Amino acid sequence: MTSTDKEAMDLRAQIQQYLVESGNYERISNKLAQRLLDEGWMEQVKKITRETMEDDNTTNFSEVLKRVEPEAVNLVSSNTKDEIMQQIKAFLYDIVDTQ
Amino acid sequence: MTVASEKMSSLTIVSVSETIYNNLITSMVQDIVSRITSQKQLLDSRYPDMSPLFYDPQGKLDIHGQPKIQESSIYFRCNNCDRDISANRYAAHLERCMSRGNRKT
Ligand SMILES: [Zn+2]
Repeated sequence: MTSTDKEAMDLRAQIQQYLVESGNYERISNKLAQRLLDEGWMEQVKKITRETMEDDNTTNFSEVLKRVEPEAVNLVSSNTKDEIMQQIKAFLYDIVDTQ
Repeated sequence: MTVASEKMSSLTIVSVSETIYNNLITSMVQDIVSRITSQKQLLDSRYPDMSPLFYDPQGKLDIHGQPKIQESSIYFRCNNCDRDISANRYAAHLERCMSRGNRKT
């Protein structure tokens, strides 16, 4: 790992920590959860999980997750994703000193 | 907190935002999958022979895959007079049967 990679990772961790400590992580997370519930994403992911357990005949968490996760991530509406990304970016512009 | 701008050159705000967004979404997926899989594990261990509820797209059969039974062919024993009464006449029977009982006492 180069020193810039290391710096980048440290920075990422630092930002995440500040996001959590300031209470913003929870606020954004709650908002995302509410949007996903409202648009039916939560129910859809539950359904896909049940179907995957049925199709692959397994209840193993990692096996099911591996199949469900990519599809679930894709199923988020672009409205919701854009809105949440806007909030995160706004938070970052506030704390990061860009030139 | 202020981050020095030269450190930001390797990382754009957008890519950090993407990472944070991905962490949020994947932790939600993990949460759902872990709840559903452990629920199923619990059900399987408690009721090993459990079959899923029956679904009839035509809406004619019930959750056991059975057709509707005519209520007139089912009989309930009346506790008041000890007679077997057709299920769809039970309420009407009670009205008469109970008032007769009251008069007796
Ligand atoms: Zn009776």
